[in-house]
Amino acid sequence: MEMINVENISFSFEDGITRIMDGISFNVEEDEFVSIIGPSGCGKSTMLRIIAGLIKPDGGKVFYMGKEVSGPVRGISFVFQDFALLPWLTIIENVKLGFSLINITEEEKNRRSTLLLDSFGLSGFENSYPNALSGGMKQRVGIARALASDPNVLLMDEPFSALDQLTADTLRSDIIYQLKNKDLPVKSVIMVTHNVEEAIELSDKMVILSAKPSHVKEVINVNMPRPRSKRSRKVAALMDHIYAELAKD
Amino acid sequence: MDFYAALSLLRMLVLDTGASWVRMFIALGISIILSLILGIYAAISERFGRIIIPIVDIFQTLPILAFFPIVIVVFVGILPGYIGINAAVIFLIITSMIWNIIFGVYESVIVLPSEVMEMAELYGLSTWQRFKKIFIPASMPRVVQQSILSWSIGLFYLVTSEIFSTGVSQYKVTYGIGVFFGTIGSSNLAEYLLGIAVFIVFVIATRLLFFKPLENYFSRYSRQQSTSAGYLRIHNIVHAPIRFIRKRVTGPTRIQDMGIRIGRVILKPRLKKNEPKPIYVKRKSRTGSRTKYATAAILLAVLIILLYLYPQILPYEYIIIVNLAFSFARVWFAFLVALAISIPVCVYLIFMTRQTSKYVLLFQIIASIPATILLPLIVAPLSAYQYGAEYTAFIVFFLSSIWYIIFSALGASKAIPNSIDEVKNIFGVRGREAWQKIYLKAIMPGLITGAVTAIAAEWNASIVAEFFNGSGNISSAICPSITSLSAISHFTGSGNAVSLGIGKLLDISLSCNNITLMLIAIVNLSVMIILINIFVWKRLYNKTSAIYR
Ligand SMILES: Nc1ncnc2c1ncn2[C@@H]1O[C@H](COP(=O)(O)OP(=O)(O)O)[C@@H](O)[C@H]1O
Ligand SMILES: [Mg+2]
Repeated sequence: MEMINVENISFSFEDGITRIMDGISFNVEEDEFVSIIGPSGCGKSTMLRIIAGLIKPDGGKVFYMGKEVSGPVRGISFVFQDFALLPWLTIIENVKLGFSLINITEEEKNRRSTLLLDSFGLSGFENSYPNALSGGMKQRVGIARALASDPNVLLMDEPFSALDQLTADTLRSDIIYQLKNKDLPVKSVIMVTHNVEEAIELSDKMVILSAKPSHVKEVINVNMPRPRSKRSRKVAALMDHIYAELAKD
Repeated sequence: MDFYAALSLLRMLVLDTGASWVRMFIALGISIILSLILGIYAAISERFGRIIIPIVDIFQTLPILAFFPIVIVVFVGILPGYIGINAAVIFLIITSMIWNIIFGVYESVIVLPSEVMEMAELYGLSTWQRFKKIFIPASMPRVVQQSILSWSIGLFYLVTSEIFSTGVSQYKVTYGIGVFFGTIGSSNLAEYLLGIAVFIVFVIATRLLFFKPLENYFSRYSRQQSTSAGYLRIHNIVHAPIRFIRKRVTGPTRIQDMGIRIGRVILKPRLKKNEPKPIYVKRKSRTGSRTKYATAAILLAVLIILLYLYPQILPYEYIIIVNLAFSFARVWFAFLVALAISIPVCVYLIFMTRQTSKYVLLFQIIASIPATILLPLIVAPLSAYQYGAEYTAFIVFFLSSIWYIIFSALGASKAIPNSIDEVKNIFGVRGREAWQKIYLKAIMPGLITGAVTAIAAEWNASIVAEFFNGSGNISSAICPSITSLSAISHFTGSGNAVSLGIGKLLDISLSCNNITLMLIAIVNLSVMIILINIFVWKRLYNKTSAIYR
């Protein structure tokens, strides 16, 4: 089943001068991990926000499970590049924001948040404030909050790029492990990244965008078995191909 | 003074100061609540913001104390007896406190990263939840910070208005520290000193027992308190304010941010390219100046129409302008002297000692002691000299302004990076060059914002500094000849008076119940201040910010 259809999206910011997107289409199937790659400033973050229903496109449509997206949708959640935690709320309060749209009791919210934080290795930090946490921990909270709303589709905007390499690597494998957890309703993930290696490692499908006004240059289905070592020849060849493609602009 | 007399005086002083403090806390509470509502609304509604922010900016620099006579007349007219006069005093304190708190709230909300709002939208937070969980807590650190400044401005208004109201016997608050200082003669030096001591104890206690805990409590709310190094730290401390500054800057509340920008100029830290945008990206700077020009134009038009419709007030206009010119000279002379002294002091404290935070607290406390409190002490001895009243006015003006300048420059310096010393040493910059290229440039923005507040404070002080009548009543002898410059200049009341000055004129017109004269004088004063703001301060500010960006 198709989870997300992006159909012929075009967009320019209100100043109207710069066209950001020009007829972008792709779709995301159930159980698919899709990454969007493109040069900096080409509109990847904007694209993700359009899918989330936070920004309206000038032309084209986005469908979530066949229904048109015209505002934030319950089944879609978002992980922000800069975490977007509220520094004046404790960790658990931050996570509980994710339940705002779900009608459950306060105790239930507390119980579930504690479980989520637990599964991300954050037990004991429930009542700390975000500023006391390291970047990697903050993003764990951001992801826990995103999962709290029981999403079917998880959108991630460069979730690891504000972190140092080592932290990013650990968090990445943790998240993949979490996403495989059958209890989670997450069916598909769309991740924006500019890290080609990361994209190849994680994706079932890669959408490559051109510089702005951006269009889809290529959609690559990655059918290689996991784990994918960057030393394997196939991976190296794909990386070369993508770098060449990105450099063409 | 024997022991028991001292004890009963002390009791009275505590009662008086306590009464003043109750007024202050009521005013602060109301100011904070109103500021949260107005500031948040101005930030989330572009249209409302476009109107309210320039207005706030104007009021921030107007000498609202000059309106006090009118406020009293109105409130006492509406409300019975001491309720009216207290309402007037509290209203007045609010008008002195509220503006920069509104700015603080507005700025805190407007620099929130757009991700926060997107998050709120994604998870469907209601309007009330957004206020409770996002806007209000985001504003609180700045609210506390601004409240500290507001508190000292408010004390100035409070004491000055209490002193002032004693001069006009029919409008009088019963308890209040200003009443005490207004009625005490300089002969009672011991009583006076005891009064000052009690006042200072209250000031320090408030700073340490009220504001300090609040500061500590809300500091963890602050987005600038990131403990992690690297990107986040740079992002939070540097980017957000800078991005905001590019959009809209005015008023004396951006002290720190300006310093940060200087840091950037000097050190040029690498900026991350992919900056998250603040909430209301599209907002541009055009918001400000138009409304201001409009206000100045309207006031000017009102004045001209008034003069046209009522030609009989033309002589008033003449009197007012002459008086204004005298005050202008006094105010600016005192300001320039204060500036000349505060620059080396600031440079010394900032660059030679590098321990400004200690001094900031000290200056905050000193700045909270209103210069007008000195009046009873200095008036009598100085009036023995030929231009005694001029010296009095100079001292009050000078003390009203210097702390604000120093305070603001030191505040801005917090953001000047430590490594400026290293830069200086590596390249061997010293002497004249160091002054020109580093010291003056670095403290310039702080000086400019401080100057605006300082001059506003001087104008406010003028209604007591230029004419201090002690406890006596103004004789009605002056009233019939109020349009005669020489009559005004020779009139000294029962106390201390400069020859000519707008503050003196305002006092006399109130005592003579000449509301027309008072109103026209206030309009003139306001027009002048707004014009100076637009054509001097705003320009200077824009020029510096253009360079410092
Ligand atoms: N609010 C805005 N107003 C105008 N232009 C914007 C705004 N937000 C982003 N842009 C521009 O749109 C382009 C796409 O931005 P973005 O989606 O963040 O790119 P990416 O995530 O691919 O780096 C960039 O060139 C950026 O400068
Ligand atoms: Mg982006």
